[in-house]
Amino acid sequence: MPDPEKRFAEEWRNAAYNCFSSGHKFCREVCPVMQVTRNESWSPTAFHANVVAMEKGELEVADVAADYVNCTGCGACELRCPNSLFTGDFYRFRTRTVDLVKAVRGLAVSQGVHQPGWQRWNLLTDERRHEPVLNGTPVDQARVRDWADGLDLPIGGETILFVDCEAAFYRTSVPRSVARILNLAGYKFGLMNEQWCCGGPAAEMGYEEQARRFAQHNLDDWRAAGVRRVLVLDPHDYITFTEDYPKYFGDAYDIEIVLVVELLAELIREGRLTPHVPVERTVTYHDPCRLNKRKGVWREPREILRAIPGLTFHDVDRVTQWSYCSGGGGGLPVEKPELTAKISEHRVEKAAELGVDTLVSACPWSERPLSEAGRARSIDVVDLHELLAESLGVAP
Amino acid sequence: MKYRYQEEMSPPPPQRVTDVAITRFEHVFEVEPGLMTDHVTQQTFPNWDTLRLVRSRADHLAWMHRHFADKVISGEELLHDLDE
Repeated sequence: MPDPEKRFAEEWRNAAYNCFSSGHKFCREVCPVMQVTRNESWSPTAFHANVVAMEKGELEVADVAADYVNCTGCGACELRCPNSLFTGDFYRFRTRTVDLVKAVRGLAVSQGVHQPGWQRWNLLTDERRHEPVLNGTPVDQARVRDWADGLDLPIGGETILFVDCEAAFYRTSVPRSVARILNLAGYKFGLMNEQWCCGGPAAEMGYEEQARRFAQHNLDDWRAAGVRRVLVLDPHDYITFTEDYPKYFGDAYDIEIVLVVELLAELIREGRLTPHVPVERTVTYHDPCRLNKRKGVWREPREILRAIPGLTFHDVDRVTQWSYCSGGGGGLPVEKPELTAKISEHRVEKAAELGVDTLVSACPWSERPLSEAGRARSIDVVDLHELLAESLGVAP
Repeated sequence: MKYRYQEEMSPPPPQRVTDVAITRFEHVFEVEPGLMTDHVTQQTFPNWDTLRLVRSRADHLAWMHRHFADKVISGEELLHDLDE
């Protein structure tokens, strides 16, 4: 066994045995990939069992690397794992399947085992400093602030707004809505000087060196511009800035990260924002995995929805939503768009059962797959920030 | 409402509860760290992760109670059903 694989197996063996011996497999039933494929090789349990086999020399990472594509990084399996949910806090040792998947993907890349879609995606991201979210149309630094045209926003300052690649180039009305809302509330913020991709997707796909390089660039740029606080509208960025960056920089990570959804809920609570334009829609809310499951953020989006007049809000149990996912995370749509589409169809089907005309999300990355699935059922997929902007009379 | 590395990575000082347990947050107990150094070492947890697990557990249990524990059926009733 090559040395890197040996070191990897040593690092993850205890977690793997811990999972393998539980045998409950609750994780399997909430895994969005398992729900639509029933492929046992793609279950969280299998992801751990492979490590046991790797430690025993029964397989190498090249044998199983392709299996590890089948994870959206939603974190449902971790929350339903009895080891995490019921004893994780007591032992300070929880099942970290999402991290394991990232680690195996990283090990594969370091061994020269690539998935073709991910390799191309990260190559283009490295060249352009942004993810190739517009397919053939190049995206680059020269266009990264185009979304803010006409908004007269300063560059730099103590507080800045970080806009993810999808929202900066494809879902531009989302950051425009956020900017208009913050302006309305009198909340001061600027734009980034240079805004590279956060590096999170590269880390998720196993391209760790690239992820760290991008992270270092962003942190250096923030410091050079005197930034103390970064506002984040994308749940994926929020995960990257609060989980990956602390891992990379440790004590030197001196930036405050604020999630825009939480900030907006607070501004409404304080009376600095009062939604008043009725929005006549019947909606339900899609909890983005990286907010609800991975960060425990679910109250604030609902506070915002309940503050919007005219809305008929059919909420579902948010714990049930631990098993919902759009399929848009973890690089899955890059490598397996057909699987993402199936997961989205499954999610929209759940919304359709509630008789709603609109599915509200708070994650730019979920909207493409959910919108496509929604069209087949005549369900609009709209962004929470945009909905709030409409009710505040500042739609972009 | 915000993430700051120094705040998240500085857990409150532990208070001993028993020989094998400590507490850092109200109603949250942890195994004495000294007992987890040989076979399974403890992970580095930011404060939010500990609290997220605790809150998620409470939410999950409440969910289970709402869905499965709205009625108690005695063994006698079950036997009666079988007889019928």
